[in-house]
Amino acid sequence: MVFNSLKFAAFFVVFFLLYWLIFNRNNKIQNLFFLLGSYVFYCWWDWRFLALIIGSSLVNYLLGIYIDKSENEKRRKFLVLLGLIQGLGGLLFFKYFNFFIDTFISAFSLININLSIHTLNIILPLGISFYTFRAISYLLDIDSGKIKPTTDWVIFFSYIAFFPCLTAGPIDRAKSLIPQLEKKRVFDYSHATDAMRQILWGLFKKVVIADNCATCTNAIFENYKTLPASSLLFGAFYFAIQIYSDFSGYSDMAIGFSRLLGFNVTKNFNFPIFAQNISEFWQKWHISLTSWMTDYVFTPLSFIFRTSGKSGLILSILINFILIGLWHGSNWTFILFGFLQGCYFIPLVLNGTLNRKRVKEGTHLLPSFNEFLRMAGTFTLVMLTVVLFRSETIGQAFSYYQAIISTSLLSAPKIPLDKAVKIVTIIFIIIMIIVEWLQRDKEHGLDIENIKNSFLRLSIYYTIIAVILIFAGQKVTFIYAQF
Amino acid sequence: MERNEIKKEVKIIFVSVLKNNNFEISDELTANDVDGWDSLSHMVIVTEVEKHFDIKFKLKDLNKLNNIGNLIDLVALKTEQKLILPDGL
Repeated sequence: MVFNSLKFAAFFVVFFLLYWLIFNRNNKIQNLFFLLGSYVFYCWWDWRFLALIIGSSLVNYLLGIYIDKSENEKRRKFLVLLGLIQGLGGLLFFKYFNFFIDTFISAFSLININLSIHTLNIILPLGISFYTFRAISYLLDIDSGKIKPTTDWVIFFSYIAFFPCLTAGPIDRAKSLIPQLEKKRVFDYSHATDAMRQILWGLFKKVVIADNCATCTNAIFENYKTLPASSLLFGAFYFAIQIYSDFSGYSDMAIGFSRLLGFNVTKNFNFPIFAQNISEFWQKWHISLTSWMTDYVFTPLSFIFRTSGKSGLILSILINFILIGLWHGSNWTFILFGFLQGCYFIPLVLNGTLNRKRVKEGTHLLPSFNEFLRMAGTFTLVMLTVVLFRSETIGQAFSYYQAIISTSLLSAPKIPLDKAVKIVTIIFIIIMIIVEWLQRDKEHGLDIENIKNSFLRLSIYYTIIAVILIFAGQKVTFIYAQF
Repeated sequence: MERNEIKKEVKIIFVSVLKNNNFEISDELTANDVDGWDSLSHMVIVTEVEKHFDIKFKLKDLNKLNNIGNLIDLVALKTEQKLILPDGL
């Protein structure tokens, strides 16, 4: 039941009306209804793993209470470890088991030992990477004294299965979301209107930009051996825009639906295509994951290696980014993607510009030439690495890179597609970039509350709706729902 | 060591690491208020503070810091402990 489907629209309308009109009188009953709604939503995707999410919620709920009660340091550490084994163990089994077996077999075959270990037919439970991270941060925050555990099981189970963000985040922390579940939500008309605008902008980015880009990306990546290098560069560009508009579009919708239900969910993207260096890019891209990794992986690592100076910092960054890459999936392509992102930081650490005053874009209409160069450079670096995201193997990615480095880079690009699709896609990409540039200091691309003329606002809404209805691309699954 | 003295010296460390003098040090100051103070520069600052005051932090102590005021209090506590318990005790 994806957000951009009639099924979800029907589900959400019914849920929204019951949530505000019938169950709003009592917070406990409203939370119970929210939890039931989350489980219905989950079962609609795949009912087979409902028991897993309930079981995981129960274990972490009890562990949270016992960790907080435990005064004995050793017992406390044991309980935290138990929680980590349960969470990461589930993730390792469902997401990485076959990858480790394959890697193991390949490693032994290098020394002429053929192992006959069979991989398992494992289905990845939906949202496991996201809800496991929620649960782990909950336990670690209780252990470090940042939060107190909740003793209301409905609230905790709702935090884990929070349906607007269940399939692909944002990964909200307990510190922010649990207090919101504890207090009574009040419907706010202007807040809800802005939430609708955010959903509309997210829908536009998903179905018009990302889905049309997907058609172009597929046409290029499937025929990359026969196309000129300039086309392959376009392929990388289209895919970078696709992955951005797909995931940031999804995030806008997830945040918008949460806001309609009275929750403030963490911002997941802050217009990363205008980042002026790689460090700034990662502060603006998939913020909820990078901040999670910063708190629970990078900070402990950099603390351990702090006496090693710059080399310690580089090592912490590399490990952190390799794990970020691996989080996306069990493939060497993701690991290499993470490694390269980490490598991009090395010059910044070595020449000391990492901590230099952040460059602010300001509110001027056009970027300066230097700003533009820095933005284009950062985007190009990212664009080249997302080829790894789209490739099934490292070999395929390298053969794509090899094909880019040729004299045909200077020839006119050819894309085996209908001209109209190519033109429409490019025009809407340009429109999206212009709109997001103008709105870069706002919460989302369609935050237009400052436009007082209601006729103009309505015209903008109807134009976007018309564009969505006319120019929607072929339906493609959300990329991040696979992670 | 006086709290105000610690505050002054902490400010010097921040300015030297961040290459930015464009902020007034106050107890309520957080990373959001200072340009360049992010997760990457944070540990460089921590290391410089440890070196300067000849103290050692624990990760658990650092996790509880919410603003500069907390950091100054922690430095004051650690320097006090150092005087009571010399190295090796």
